[in-house]
Amino acid sequence: MSETTSTDVLRCVVVTPEETVLETEADFVALPLFDGELGVAKHHSPMIGRLGYGELRIRQGAETTRHYVEGGFVQVTDNVVSVLTNRAIKADSIDTTAAQQQLDSALGQTAAGDEQLAIRDRTVAQSRAQLRAARQSK
Amino acid sequence: MANPKELDKRRKSIRNMRRITRTMELIATARFKKAMDRASAATAYTDRITQLVSDLTKSGLEVSHPLLEPREETKSAKLLVLTGNRGFCAGYNGNMIRAGLKRWGELTDEIPRCSAEVSGKKGISGFAFGNVELDEEFTQFEDKPSYDEVEVIANRYLDAYATGEIDRLDVVYTRFESISRQTATVETLLPLGSLVEATDESADESSSDTIYEFVPSPESILEEVVPTSFKVKLFKCFLDAAVSEQIARMVAMKGATENAGELIKDLSMKYNRARQGRITSELMDLIGGVEALK
Repeated sequence: MSETTSTDVLRCVVVTPEETVLETEADFVALPLFDGELGVAKHHSPMIGRLGYGELRIRQGAETTRHYVEGGFVQVTDNVVSVLTNRAIKADSIDTTAAQQQLDSALGQTAAGDEQLAIRDRTVAQSRAQLRAARQSK
Repeated sequence: MANPKELDKRRKSIRNMRRITRTMELIATARFKKAMDRASAATAYTDRITQLVSDLTKSGLEVSHPLLEPREETKSAKLLVLTGNRGFCAGYNGNMIRAGLKRWGELTDEIPRCSAEVSGKKGISGFAFGNVELDEEFTQFEDKPSYDEVEVIANRYLDAYATGEIDRLDVVYTRFESISRQTATVETLLPLGSLVEATDESADESSSDTIYEFVPSPESILEEVVPTSFKVKLFKCFLDAAVSEQIARMVAMKGATENAGELIKDLSMKYNRARQGRITSELMDLIGGVEALK
């Protein structure tokens, strides 16, 4: 990453285990951390953070691209924002009906025991975050 | 002398076979390229995870996690063997089954409770032949294993490991080293051993002494990194297996096409000789007849 140390541009890289989803320059990146949103602009101090489920916004000029990301990590160093996530979907291609269905079925499910409760909560959080991200992209 | 008609028939059928093997070779080549692209796309993630772990360890954090430490007593083990769904790939499936059964024998000798899972139709029938009962069989993995599918399996293992259902997980797969080299590998994925061994190589190049801010805390991130790196490792096994299978098929089909070509050459020669022989003998008959009439 040494080649990027001297540059003054913020770069954002989104990778999933399957592929590199996005590699772009940005003015400002908003990340969904596990407990709230974090904004990253140029010359942000180095950090490593844990991501939650939510919307990743990348602003470049007047244009904002939105992605839904599902957990993972973010590493900010030398003006590079690396987002490591399990899934990254473009906000406007989220399947809202499927997400709604998933939410409904998760809410209607009775969970017994801590593990099942955790799974249910996770599904609810995931589908809600997907719906939210999809709504905001409209 | 052989019958020229018969020889011609054989030659034709071999020609057909060559056409088929050549097509299969082309298909395998195309699939291999795709699988290869996927595998190299996946390295971006692994590299970054490795980088993250090395930065994490440099922060002076004591790396300890239940997944990293071996159990005091290994009571039950699981074996996962990755094979192909299809044949026509030379020794690929055979090697996997052999390595799998060998490890299975070792495991059952040492550990009281063992269970096996196999991916791929060829492996499933191979293990049935070796009289090993399988817990789970997967046939949905072709040349493009998706992370979502692998994650389901990985989560199941993680849960089983956390609850103490299994104390050890071994994976038998073909590791892809280069296009001309793939080796049958047996790897113990759970317990993970150490995360640090992977970071050794990258430690020198990234000598930047950046001090990171951790949100929320290094421990919490580590808690998440360890299972993720297990999932990614398992996913890599599946990707490697897919690439290696396509290479094996490509090479096998290339060999088959070449062999068919040689056979055709040989048969053509025999056919021409037989045809010539027949003409000569007919001529001899004719000449003999003419001689007799004189």
